[in-house]
Amino acid sequence: MSRQTPAPQDLPVLDVGVGTVGVRLRGWSALVVAVASAVALALLLWPFWLPARSGAAADAPWLLALLLPLVVLLVLAQLTEHGLDSRTLAVLGVLSALNAALRPTLGAGTAGVESVFFTLVLAGRVFGPAFGFLLGCTSLFASALLTAGVGPWLPFQMVAAAWVGMGAGLLPRRARGRAELAWLVGYGVVSAYAFGLLMSLWSWPLVAQAAPGAPGPLDHLPGAPAAENLRRFAAYALITSTAGWDTGRAVTNTVALLLLGPAVLAVLRRAGRVR
Amino acid sequence: MLSIQHLTVRYPGAERDTLSDVCLELPEGELALVVGRTGSGKSTLLGSVNNLVPRFTAGRRVGRILLDGADVTLASPRELADRVGRVGQDPLAGFVTDTVEEELAYGMEQLGVAPERMRVRVEETLDLLGIAHLRSRALTTLSGGEQQRVAIGSVLTLQPRLLVLDEPTSALDPVAAEEVVALLRRLVHDLGTTVLVAEHRVERVVEACDRVVAVLPDGRVRDGAPADLLPEAGSVPPVLELGRRLGWAPVPLHVRDARRRAAGLRSRLGPPPADPPLPAPVADQGLDARGVLVRHGRQVAVAGVDLAVPRGQVCALVGRNGSGKSSLLWALHGAGPRQAGTVRVDGRPGRGQVALVPQTPADLLYLETVAEECADADEQAGLPAGSTLAALAELVPDVDPGQHPRDLSEGQKLALVLALQLAGSPPVVLLDEPTRGLDAAAKATLTRQVAELARRGHVVVLASHDVEFVARTCSRVVVLADGEVVGDGPVRDVLADSPLLATQVARVMSPLRYLTVAELLTAAGSPS
Amino acid sequence: MPGTLRDRWSLARVPRSLHPAAWWGWSLGTAAAASQTTNPLLLVLLVAVVVAVVSLRRGDGPWASSFRLYLLLAVFLVVVRVLYRVLLGGGEGGAVLLPLPELPALWPGGLRLLGDVTSDAVLQGLQDGLRLGAVVVCVGAANALANPKRLLAAVPGALYEVGAVLVVAVTVFAQLADSVLRVRRARLLRATPAGRGVRHRHRVVRAVVVPVLTDALDRSLQLAASMDARGYGRQAGTSRGRRLVTGTLLVTSVVLLGYGAFAVLSAALPTWRWYPAEAAWAQLDPGLLVLLAGLAAAALGFRSAGRAVVRTRHRPDRMRAAEWTTLLSGLACFAVVQLVARGPEAGVLLPGVRAWPSLTPALVLAPVLALLPALLTPPPALTGAQLPRAAAGGLS
Repeated sequence: MSRQTPAPQDLPVLDVGVGTVGVRLRGWSALVVAVASAVALALLLWPFWLPARSGAAADAPWLLALLLPLVVLLVLAQLTEHGLDSRTLAVLGVLSALNAALRPTLGAGTAGVESVFFTLVLAGRVFGPAFGFLLGCTSLFASALLTAGVGPWLPFQMVAAAWVGMGAGLLPRRARGRAELAWLVGYGVVSAYAFGLLMSLWSWPLVAQAAPGAPGPLDHLPGAPAAENLRRFAAYALITSTAGWDTGRAVTNTVALLLLGPAVLAVLRRAGRVR
Repeated sequence: MLSIQHLTVRYPGAERDTLSDVCLELPEGELALVVGRTGSGKSTLLGSVNNLVPRFTAGRRVGRILLDGADVTLASPRELADRVGRVGQDPLAGFVTDTVEEELAYGMEQLGVAPERMRVRVEETLDLLGIAHLRSRALTTLSGGEQQRVAIGSVLTLQPRLLVLDEPTSALDPVAAEEVVALLRRLVHDLGTTVLVAEHRVERVVEACDRVVAVLPDGRVRDGAPADLLPEAGSVPPVLELGRRLGWAPVPLHVRDARRRAAGLRSRLGPPPADPPLPAPVADQGLDARGVLVRHGRQVAVAGVDLAVPRGQVCALVGRNGSGKSSLLWALHGAGPRQAGTVRVDGRPGRGQVALVPQTPADLLYLETVAEECADADEQAGLPAGSTLAALAELVPDVDPGQHPRDLSEGQKLALVLALQLAGSPPVVLLDEPTRGLDAAAKATLTRQVAELARRGHVVVLASHDVEFVARTCSRVVVLADGEVVGDGPVRDVLADSPLLATQVARVMSPLRYLTVAELLTAAGSPS
Repeated sequence: MPGTLRDRWSLARVPRSLHPAAWWGWSLGTAAAASQTTNPLLLVLLVAVVVAVVSLRRGDGPWASSFRLYLLLAVFLVVVRVLYRVLLGGGEGGAVLLPLPELPALWPGGLRLLGDVTSDAVLQGLQDGLRLGAVVVCVGAANALANPKRLLAAVPGALYEVGAVLVVAVTVFAQLADSVLRVRRARLLRATPAGRGVRHRHRVVRAVVVPVLTDALDRSLQLAASMDARGYGRQAGTSRGRRLVTGTLLVTSVVLLGYGAFAVLSAALPTWRWYPAEAAWAQLDPGLLVLLAGLAAAALGFRSAGRAVVRTRHRPDRMRAAEWTTLLSGLACFAVVQLVARGPEAGVLLPGVRAWPSLTPALVLAPVLALLPALLTPPPALTGAQLPRAAAGGLS
């Protein structure tokens, strides 16, 4: 091999800026996410618009359990259409695994999803709404895979968690320090109840399907005015989850965000900018 | 094969170039060893070969890189995947999938290799690495050496002509490291692969390498014969050091050559001067452990070990992986399990009087700056503010208190954790594999630090694979096997007579029981 | 395929694990069938068939042992459903089984607690709970039978990245669990005086979470570098036109699926009769066509989004005869139930609580169809960990 020594001024220059972890949410991606979210929400609210028709109320949850995953997959396909860069992919994978691994660590009193929540909120905040959306989906799916817990509840949890992650990414970007922590804690509380309501919305028609002839006071009444069903749902949600689980989740979120928020934000931000 | 022309690299925000005007020609079929101090730019040089620097790390790079005559300066790492295979330090961190076979196939899947060819290449690679019996094993269940072989295999399936390895053995024990080096040698000799490998523990690879590429502190690079260049890079294996100091030419690289050259020296010199006898343990003074038993389920890790170490003594625990060294240290500290036995320090129960620095010291760090960590330790130990920071400055003067602990070098991290653990001034200090990831200079610093601890009257017990370090640092060696003590005595008695544990100098001088270059030079009367 | 019929049968019996999609299709088919009925006889039959298939065809991977949890969950759901009726009322009528005092109204509109427990309420709860439980068992079967990692390996190109994220998550999980253990152990080394209160707890949690998280993120960086160096990365630059096509298809598909679901559920579109007969099977809800159009758009969208990728699979699972048999048997089970639901004997599927439920021959056929994979698929390939026990016939 002959050794050529070019004059130094001919040398090629490769100047690469500091990359960031994250996924773009613009153009088609934003449109697909918006449309799919609207459609998914409308479908989730079926107990309030479904007319009285024999069998429809019984079919609705199952039809939804088949359609919702498809809608989620369509959104995921769009969000990753450009391809994820390796670093974003690795951070997503590691954070999803972390959410699953941290569960048993934070110990008693932290039932199930809470630890997922607080890292999800923080990661959404740091890496943006599209990343939050993806992380919500992959976190719950990963932990379902790891515990072989794939069931009809999973798509609903994924959608709800994805919204939680995305919402955290949409909080005002400028806030820092105490203001940021206040936003996050406020959002943590709101999202805890919102997640609980969405999950109740899924379980309500299944658990409280109207008994023919003599419906109970909390049962879903297909075809009844929306206000009537809303009242029934509110009572159902309050009794089954809002007062108990959701409040517990809101408190855990608040405590975790207050205690660990700044430290974890710093760690995530440090990882987001690579050296 | 590889030609690097006038390469200069500067990272964003850095004040100086990490590499400056590097020119390097690497012919086909050579094994080149890259040496240099920690942080000198070894990784930058290796990363530049397949353009991970700067495409992945960001930064500004000037210069040209040719592979087999083709200009690849602007190519992406992905495009070079089948030309340059890159293996990192910690194999586990680079695994994408979780079983051996899938990991081997991963790269080929990415490049769209046809399934039939993929199948054949996976089989061939399994045989080449001698790991066919592990094909469906989960990667986490493999030993360190096996993991590193899989990592090498996972890039070999793409059939690159050039292999780049960044400290492939630094996380491995000596046996596993030997396996990896043997594999590299085979690749070079049998397949004609060109290999560029960075390594701290030069003595492991120096015998197999054709040339040395030294990355100097100012960012320049020189390449040439090992004997000429190793001293400049500050990492010299004992045999080479000996040859240089005694003016042997050519300077020997292997124990065999050195032993032939040292025939005259052996006949001229008498045995080394006798060491002062080890002090007998005094009752109620120092560390006194009796009948320590540790079991993990059915497996016995430590089978009733007695260990008494007086104050001021530095005692090494040696033995293969899984011989119970770590379990014993953790049991002595009290944080690990201990099913039976007593640990007393100065006649009192040992709890709270023992400090332990674990294998991965960074596990203990959780605050954002060095100063915060130190202040936290002060507060926990009830010391006046600033004491730990002052102690740290004594250990390593060049640490900036405002730095993030994770950004410290391995040696600095170790010193920081040591300082934190010493905050309550516990009489007993335990170190688990402290030399992992340290370069020669950092090891020398550690030897001084340990000596200082002993001088102040601490009991120091350290577990290590690194016999050269043990020979320089410790006065007593305890050999563990299968959880039992199978050897115990002054360092010279244990190390010099063992075929496995002997230092390079001991092998050269056997049957004379010299251990280190320094004492041999003193005996030989040459200026040291 | 060489050889006689007997040779081919022997070849087909060679132990191997089926394509995960086959098991998922089968299990979704049976689950869909179960969701159509509250007939306890049919539900119990279906559950029995699913349990039989699982115990004969599951392997020895860690996921295979999850099935027991699904059975427990199903029982739990039945209990919850009955308790709900007992506590919160609804479905009154029939004999009073247990007279309980009624607590006063707590909520405008007559929410009351407790009150007489009637046979109708309990039976109603049992029937609905059984349906819910049966669906859960059917889905649990897929969890136990299909190797989740092979499922990830079979995702279409458009979802490759998401699949890769999950593969990484599964890979890193074991390492992270180790890392958590290691850090927790290391924390014991730092001289923390026993303390109480929020501040102490803060320190403890932080000392675990921060090192684990930092470690995990550092690791992700090395992983990304390793992936890049080994060729990860989609072919650069999808064209503007391709993006337009993909985006349009995906949006269209989401809208169609949403509208289709609405139309089907609320019968918004007039029924279309495609055959001159009065029977229910001769009529078609156009909403279904909208749904189908949405599915087609989704399929095209996935194809378009995955077009740019050139990747191959090492030892890909293929859909062979056994896979198709499995998939079709699940779908056939659903189809039979669906046909009955549209025929004159639809009432059998939703029996009241006052009459003893009955079965028709067609309804017996459905579980029998679902049982076929137990007989017609090859036995699972075992990884060897539990080989002696399985060979002794003990798949507990």
